[in-house]
Amino acid sequence: MTMDLVLWTGLLAAGVRLAMSIGIAALGEAISQRAGVLNVGIEGIMLMGAFLGVFGAVTTGSPWGGVVFALAGGAAMGAMHGFFTITLRADQIVCGIGLVILGLGLSSFLFRLTLGRGQVRVPTFRALDLGWLTDIPLIGPVLFGQNILVYVAVALALALAWIMRRTALGLEWRACGENPSAAEAAGVPVIARRYQAVILGGALAGLGGAYLAMAQINAFVENMVVGRGFIAIACVVFGRWHPLGVLGAALGFGLAEAAQIRLQTWYPDVPYQFFVMLPYLLAIMALVFLARSAALPRALGKPFTRGSA
Amino acid sequence: MNRRLGETLAILALALAIPSLFVLLASKNPVATWATLLSYTLGTWHGFSEVLVNATPLTLLGLGVVVAFRAGIFNIGGDGQLICGAVLAVALAGFAAPLGPLGLPVFLLLGFAGGAAIGALVGWLRARFGANEIIVTIMLNYVALQILTWVIRGPLQEPMRIFPRSYRIADNLFLPTLVDGARLHAGLFVALAATIAVYLLVRHTAFGFRLDVLGRNAPAAPFAGISAGRVAVLAMLVSGGLAGLAGAVEIAGLHQKLEDNFAAGYGLAAIAVALMARLNPAFVPLAALLFGVFEVGAGVLQRQLAIPFPLVWIIQGTVILAWLAFDWSARRARAVAA
Repeated sequence: MTMDLVLWTGLLAAGVRLAMSIGIAALGEAISQRAGVLNVGIEGIMLMGAFLGVFGAVTTGSPWGGVVFALAGGAAMGAMHGFFTITLRADQIVCGIGLVILGLGLSSFLFRLTLGRGQVRVPTFRALDLGWLTDIPLIGPVLFGQNILVYVAVALALALAWIMRRTALGLEWRACGENPSAAEAAGVPVIARRYQAVILGGALAGLGGAYLAMAQINAFVENMVVGRGFIAIACVVFGRWHPLGVLGAALGFGLAEAAQIRLQTWYPDVPYQFFVMLPYLLAIMALVFLARSAALPRALGKPFTRGSA
Repeated sequence: MNRRLGETLAILALALAIPSLFVLLASKNPVATWATLLSYTLGTWHGFSEVLVNATPLTLLGLGVVVAFRAGIFNIGGDGQLICGAVLAVALAGFAAPLGPLGLPVFLLLGFAGGAAIGALVGWLRARFGANEIIVTIMLNYVALQILTWVIRGPLQEPMRIFPRSYRIADNLFLPTLVDGARLHAGLFVALAATIAVYLLVRHTAFGFRLDVLGRNAPAAPFAGISAGRVAVLAMLVSGGLAGLAGAVEIAGLHQKLEDNFAAGYGLAAIAVALMARLNPAFVPLAALLFGVFEVGAGVLQRQLAIPFPLVWIIQGTVILAWLAFDWSARRARAVAA
């Protein structure tokens, strides 16, 4: 019985921890898509965030320095996506693919020029110890023994859910993704709103990458995101573009990841590769069963031309 | 000079100018760097033969991207389809080997079939369930990679069961080497034949026409009697098949066996190849040659000047974004003229 409890505690705590890099990036992607801009390049932005996070943390001596670097770098790449897709009205998917390759190249290249040359100790985010709260069986380690960024992510999801639902800004973002021409006619600055959303999305993708490097793997490794950026996009669909739903979907993937690592040791006779595949197969299944969603922003992926109504 | 050639040259100029900033960051002289790159890749026989070795899979994968892209479908899972083609061909190589001279074509067809199966699956999931092909193909890349690492340590492992690699395929399944002492192999001709075939398919068949209708005006497809789902499945079947063929060609021409990292990760570069070729199959080999130069060139820059190899991805990303910028300027010019 106690063995079971230890197992479940470990699984759930790890699931929450492993969910957040995907979850934070997916929150940003959800806002961006809600405003009508699809960014399939968050894989590349997460890679840049991972590198900048580690680089910033080493440079400033604090993981928070890394967070600032990653947010700024992610926002810059988001702005770039905005420039191409909003201002130049270029194809959003092609631009996103460009960002994936660019992020892979920039992060690996700059890493090799800077930190890749020697051993460095990376300041990271560690699990908090909240005293008696953390000592509660099961709930303690799962809810009160996480690193600080986990709580930041949950607060972010709540804040974004409130903004989307209850504020003028959220309403305007949604209008830009549903019917930009009508929004413009109603006085919404469509271009500015879309830029804000895509820049916020980029910044959060950067933060998601920094989380991966500083609160999950605790190092930068080239191409370390290995598809999480695309899983994050699947989470947006899975979570029906709602911030809390999106974070919930990411939790599902975090649990799948935590479970697959444990299954490898529980079933040594089954080739471990089949367990590693699980989260990727899960993403495909999620898309297959939930892709045709009424929640899809109607103007998603479509460039907006002023005065086109 | 025609407008498109001008644009292509401008994209090339940007593809060198922006990465030059990163060459400077690496404390190297950009002019000397590009001179080193060009003199090795185009000025030495060995360098150029390596460019052709790289251009072979890039051509096949690029053609695959073109076929799907013309129908408005983004196949960015060329790497996974390449692996699946190679795995299926090697797994069934025992059936191809006794066929004598027919063995090699059968081996290559098996590769095509392996990639085509995955591609068709992706097309079906998109047509039937609306599953986004970008995410599905990327996810399948990681699944395929796991299948590869499993089979070379499991069912297809070499007879000694020591090394993580498959058994070697029979000699009659090899694509012959074209020049002694170089890796250049007859896969080059497979790639050129595929170019002609895809060109004819896209430009001179009803299927090619349906691809374009679907890609340019999907809502109109049903009115033209075109089943969008069917075309999507077939487009992805051909697209994945070409990637699978590339996998079989890589095995038959270079590796003779499956091993970790045999697939060099051409899938994303193939997108840049297809865009650079403006989705015209006839231009794909030329674009593949260009990206072969970058790929081989980045290797020599790493060896001779210690400039990190990932520069090649910075170049590829720049090409894609530059292409988008010029695509915009072309559309704008059309809009002004109209």
